[in-house]
Amino acid sequence: MRVLLIEDDTALGAAIRDQIAADGHSVDWVSRLDQAGDAIVAAAYDLVLLDLMLPDGLGVPFLKGLRGRGDVTPVMVLTALDQVSDRIAGLNAGADDYMVKPFDLAELSARIGSVARRYAGNPNPNITLGPLAIDLAARSVVLNGKAVALTAREWVLFEAFLQRPAQLLSKAQLEERLYSFDTEIDSNAIEVHVSRLRKKLGAHVIETERGLGYRLGQP
Amino acid sequence: MKIGASLQTRLALAIGLSVTLLWLAAAAVTAHRLGGEMQEVFDDGLKATALRVLPIARHDLREGDERGDPVEHDVNEEGDDGETRIGREARYGEDVTFVVRDRNGQVLLASTGADASIFPPFVKPGFLRTETHQLYYDASFDGSLTIAVAEPLDRRTELSRKMLLGLLLPLIVMIPFSLLAIVLAVRRSLRPVRLLRQELARRGAQDLSPLPDSGLPSELRPISAGVNQLLDRLKAAFNAERAFAANAAHELRTPVAGAIAQAQRIRTETGEELTGQRATEIETTLKRLMRTSEKLMQLARAEGGRLQTDEPSDLRPVLQMIVEGFTRTGEGRILLTLPGGPVLSRLDPDAVGILFRNLIENALKHGPQNGLVEAALQTDGLLCVANDGAVLPADATERLAKRFERGSGKVGGSGLGFSIVKAIADRTGMSLKIVSPRPLKHEGVQVQVKLPLA
Repeated sequence: MRVLLIEDDTALGAAIRDQIAADGHSVDWVSRLDQAGDAIVAAAYDLVLLDLMLPDGLGVPFLKGLRGRGDVTPVMVLTALDQVSDRIAGLNAGADDYMVKPFDLAELSARIGSVARRYAGNPNPNITLGPLAIDLAARSVVLNGKAVALTAREWVLFEAFLQRPAQLLSKAQLEERLYSFDTEIDSNAIEVHVSRLRKKLGAHVIETERGLGYRLGQP
Repeated sequence: MKIGASLQTRLALAIGLSVTLLWLAAAAVTAHRLGGEMQEVFDDGLKATALRVLPIARHDLREGDERGDPVEHDVNEEGDDGETRIGREARYGEDVTFVVRDRNGQVLLASTGADASIFPPFVKPGFLRTETHQLYYDASFDGSLTIAVAEPLDRRTELSRKMLLGLLLPLIVMIPFSLLAIVLAVRRSLRPVRLLRQELARRGAQDLSPLPDSGLPSELRPISAGVNQLLDRLKAAFNAERAFAANAAHELRTPVAGAIAQAQRIRTETGEELTGQRATEIETTLKRLMRTSEKLMQLARAEGGRLQTDEPSDLRPVLQMIVEGFTRTGEGRILLTLPGGPVLSRLDPDAVGILFRNLIENALKHGPQNGLVEAALQTDGLLCVANDGAVLPADATERLAKRFERGSGKVGGSGLGFSIVKAIADRTGMSLKIVSPRPLKHEGVQVQVKLPLA
């Protein structure tokens, strides 16, 4: 997934960025709302992590503005405001989840997964795909009763297909999902990952539409 | 209430007593002066009688001389001129008696029923008072005849008593009426004070809106102005404290969150076991620091902030949100029961949240390891949080509330949670009850709070 992190605290921001990146998502980290606004216009994000008190303004009006423009990107609020009324205000403004600082990074990972699943229209983390038993929450894939180990990148790529089972995903879309702004993209990285996935999960797990992109197949 | 404790009673008593006393004093002075006047009038009457009787007596006696009947005893004689006597008696009055004596003190003439013993011998003309009578003496110009006119003092005393009664009667009738009028007037005049008192008594600790000062008498205006000023300052102080608590929470949470997250990253990234342990220790310490400071800030909020809002709100989502918060952090032992319809209250949702969170935390902490914590809100605002486990003896229940009071020196762990609950309950006038064993069960503890409904 491609995640936009809006957080002004350096230590916290860096730790969150590293955690999400380690989960295999690509992260853009900004510390101001104006930068966040620019980033949202420039790229399609699968998730926004929003702090509510930022140097150049408050998160709730920003979120309201986003929703007012019809943007339905899932937004998770990460905030130090712990009161019930703050929570109500945040959720009413259109937040999909609300986490109060300090939180466990593992919990953050889990909730990011849960929000993403809900957003994809399938809150059930257990998916059966032919001989594959997939647990989105645990990030585990079992093929014919045997666990298959996927790297973080492979997982994120596979998850992208699982979340949009019928959709054709272009190479550019997949690249955007895998990498954030500042990382160099290897020109054949997607092909490499797709071929590794096929090797591990079955040759037909991902179909290639020549010149157009990839879609989830029937393994 | 002690007599004299109320301004109204004091005023009514002071005015009523002074008015009564002044009236009585005025009546006494009047009676005294009238008494003096009456004495003079009576004395004049006595003197006039003497002056009138004496010439008549002389005339009678001279005529009697001519008839050769020198001593005429007016009292004893059944004479032929009875008609004259009757006329005389009428003229002198029934109580006034007189004797006419000659030079030697021999009684020549006396009025009907005159008792010679009440007339001391003539010494000189003028008034004389004996124990029983007031007398007036006079003598004819040649000194051959003296007259003594006596009037019994009883009669005068009785007359002045009648006069006094006549003066007092209207007073006795009027005094209760005037006292009633005074009480009513005082009550009426003190109405603004009473209204001000009621206005102050009506508002709870949370109501800091200014007092209405319209229609207040000038004496009370400085008081209400002073109270309003104080309320303003209080409100400002409360707001500052609330803002501080909110800011402090934010200023503290973010860096601690950063440090915890960094420690967690170290633990994940490092391959060395020792470093991982250190990171875990840092994380544990930071989390403990966070919990403690969080409790302190909650306490500051509970004690300082305004715990009521102007608009009533439904309590159910608040409780739901708190339970969800626990569930998300992996605490699935809470069973929440809510009524079907909204439960509206003016309590600040944040305060309710703090209260409920602490009750749940306590129940989780003090209940058995895998025991369920049951929380229920009733439509009448009764909030119950119960866990299973050992029964608390009655005295322990009582001690619990006391031990957890602030100043026990116990910070973190147990202690602050309950003082926060207590502070919120106290400041909003909610009753807090600990029941053990739980109702209809043999064990467990149930904490009940009656939340005020809108």
